[in-house]
Amino acid sequence: MPVDAEKEITRLWRALHGAQDEIGKTYYRWRQVALELAGPGAKPLEVGLRAAEVFGKEIGKGFLPRLNWLKGEDAFLMNLGRSLADIWGTEGGIAVAEKGAHPGEVLIRCTRDPWPSWAKEYGVPMEEVALCRERMFQAVLEDVSVFFRIPLKIELVKAIPRGQGETVLRLYKTA
Amino acid sequence: MARLLYEWDYSQYPGAKSYPHLFKPIQIGNLSVPNRIKYAATEDNFNTHDGFITDADVAYMRERAKGVVGGLCFMQGVYMDPGRQGQGYVGQAACWDDQFIPGLKRIADAIHAERAVAGFQLMDCGRVGAVEVDYCHGPSAVPQRLRIFKPVQEMSKADIQDVVQQHVAAARRGVAAGFDMMEISGIVGYLISNFISSYTNRRTDEYGGDIRGRMRMVVEIIQGVKQACGPDIPVGIRLCSEELLDDVRGNTPEESMQTYQIAEEAGADYISCTLGWQESIYPVISRDIPMGNWIHLAKRAKQHVKIPIQMAYRLFKPGLPNETIGAGELDIWEMCRSMIADPLMPKKVLEGRENEIRHCVACNLCLARLFRDAPMTCYINPVCAHESNPEFTDPPPAQDKKRIMIVGAGPAGLECAYMAARRGHEVHVYDQRSGIGGTLNEARNAPYGDDELWTCIEYQQAMCAKTGVQFHLGTAVTEQLLQDELPDTVVLATGPVYPQLTAKGGDHKKVVYLLDVMNGKTPVGGNVVVYGNRKPGIGCALHLAKQGKKVTLVGREKSAGFDVNPSFKWRYLIYMRQAGINAYNGCDIEEVTDEGVIVRSYDGYRWPVACDTVIVSEREANASLKQAALSEGIELFVIGDALVPRNLSSAVHDGYRIGMRI
Repeated sequence: MPVDAEKEITRLWRALHGAQDEIGKTYYRWRQVALELAGPGAKPLEVGLRAAEVFGKEIGKGFLPRLNWLKGEDAFLMNLGRSLADIWGTEGGIAVAEKGAHPGEVLIRCTRDPWPSWAKEYGVPMEEVALCRERMFQAVLEDVSVFFRIPLKIELVKAIPRGQGETVLRLYKTA
Repeated sequence: MARLLYEWDYSQYPGAKSYPHLFKPIQIGNLSVPNRIKYAATEDNFNTHDGFITDADVAYMRERAKGVVGGLCFMQGVYMDPGRQGQGYVGQAACWDDQFIPGLKRIADAIHAERAVAGFQLMDCGRVGAVEVDYCHGPSAVPQRLRIFKPVQEMSKADIQDVVQQHVAAARRGVAAGFDMMEISGIVGYLISNFISSYTNRRTDEYGGDIRGRMRMVVEIIQGVKQACGPDIPVGIRLCSEELLDDVRGNTPEESMQTYQIAEEAGADYISCTLGWQESIYPVISRDIPMGNWIHLAKRAKQHVKIPIQMAYRLFKPGLPNETIGAGELDIWEMCRSMIADPLMPKKVLEGRENEIRHCVACNLCLARLFRDAPMTCYINPVCAHESNPEFTDPPPAQDKKRIMIVGAGPAGLECAYMAARRGHEVHVYDQRSGIGGTLNEARNAPYGDDELWTCIEYQQAMCAKTGVQFHLGTAVTEQLLQDELPDTVVLATGPVYPQLTAKGGDHKKVVYLLDVMNGKTPVGGNVVVYGNRKPGIGCALHLAKQGKKVTLVGREKSAGFDVNPSFKWRYLIYMRQAGINAYNGCDIEEVTDEGVIVRSYDGYRWPVACDTVIVSEREANASLKQAALSEGIELFVIGDALVPRNLSSAVHDGYRIGMRI
């Protein structure tokens, strides 16, 4: 039977987006569990930030075998920026890494982000979404910085609620 | 005058004439060693999980001691701390207390019983240690690159002094146990190499900083161990000549050579020259690395120090080390894997029995098992890990002598043949091919060192000749022949069958079969789909990709190379990526069309792949002749791929075991 390309791609597309939706829903379901277990005094933002730290630390470990210093500092930073952008890509976002205006600086631009939509569904404030993303990326860099002996920082430059426009993070080497 | 433990006279042996440099004496410290051969310390995971020596380890070491014919025979590195942070292998021998001395003495005695020099190795596994506890220790808390290793705790100065004293105390126990030489292990990511490397040592105190600072602990250990051992026991150290860690800013080769000089200044009596770390991204000892590839590093080391230099690393055959020693570029030929594969390897070289050597095929199965907390075994040597079992090492003669027909002269059939013949049976090997080797004739054509697999057949051929196996090549065994010959026993070692593709269009003219492609009988187009993502399919895909063909691999296994051990599989995956081979794993061929094939994934997605040739590499068990033998009431065994298609190792192990049993 000949392959009906449109049908096959549509099935794949639906399966991929279904899986990406589950990423967001699963996270917010577990966030709810954590808040319930933590009790009425728990601060949701603190819980979210702690989760971002744990996730980031774990993701950072996965970066260590993949990154290397063979092509020097600029290439290393760009590869790292791309790896961070790819995390968003896996989740259904559109993100790229590009050279910043200054040496040792890489900008990560996300022009489509599914997290604010997921968050809205679970009543989570937009501020938490942006801060958790920043915290997660910061946690990724902890082991990477130590391992490769390069002091790195990342900070949120711009965040647009609901995923419209663009979110920008600045990755750079500190003095 | 240097101390000589045992007199050896090699002058009457043919090997001493062919390889004169291997069988001449050398002085190491105050010890005279009769030859240039060393079985290098190798973990085996045979000991108890609390570090006591077992019968299996003693027997294993005695076989290797027999093999070095008076040379150096080192037992595995011992861990030295009761906290077990230095323990890197679950079955690693321990030496942190006097209670371990009696067990260690059994090993020294076993080596001495073969009149060889007994070597003891001190090994704290550092950042690759702590196999039984939660944290390992190191100079700095540098995160682990590989998840299998435990988090690292930075050592205090008091911890460092403890480690120095543990080395000294363990050395004293080694001497008390009767060992003649002492070796400090400073390689592949173990504690000493962690201190030496700029990658893992970020300390700013006197144990860090420049290379002299990073070597400080090593110097203290060498000096302490020397003092504990006294003048009669040479003390050596294994050190990286190149870490191969430039991707994480490890030491430069120049710094590594400085470490050699500093070790010599500190009093080391020899250096064992190694390279690479477990965390290196470069291959060092796998089959795709040519033999002798690293010998230039020994030569460079010789230019930097005056003490003897020893080296292993893909020196599997005696010619190269003999030449290199003769040229003054190396002093001692070390062996690990080649003596795992054949413990008597150097002895056979000495006795002029080189054709009886079972050569290592550099598959690294031994390492893969160690890293997964399993006792070491060997891909090619069925006796490895069974040295304490006489049924394996010296199978008893058969009580009931039989006339045995072995169908198939591949690795399974040949292995079974010589073993059965050795036990007194009359053995006849039949094969419809005109030569021996079975499907290894084709498999050896795969790239990246697979030609070395043929050494297995050369060994088996020699053993068959020695034991009087009779060959009937170019003779297909039919039911009629079976009835005419009526042997007592039939062993079916016919290899697998390559079944016709069951997909729609499976009989298309573009569908061809693996063996015909690998032996060049069938022409192949420029755009190929190889069906089957196990080792035969991968070998074929790489073989064709090297010819510039576009290759796609389609197979039912979840990952390509499912049947290849992890310590080698990563090499294949890299080569496939470099060659642009696209692998559709967890997939089947649903249909063969004029344009190509339609691939179907395990979860039902379908897509076309254009190709002009489809090569079937999937195999099935071979049931031919089974019924005929059974209906004649003949004792029947089915072995190797004819039983279940697997790999060379299974063929050899099946053959050996059935040969022992008949």
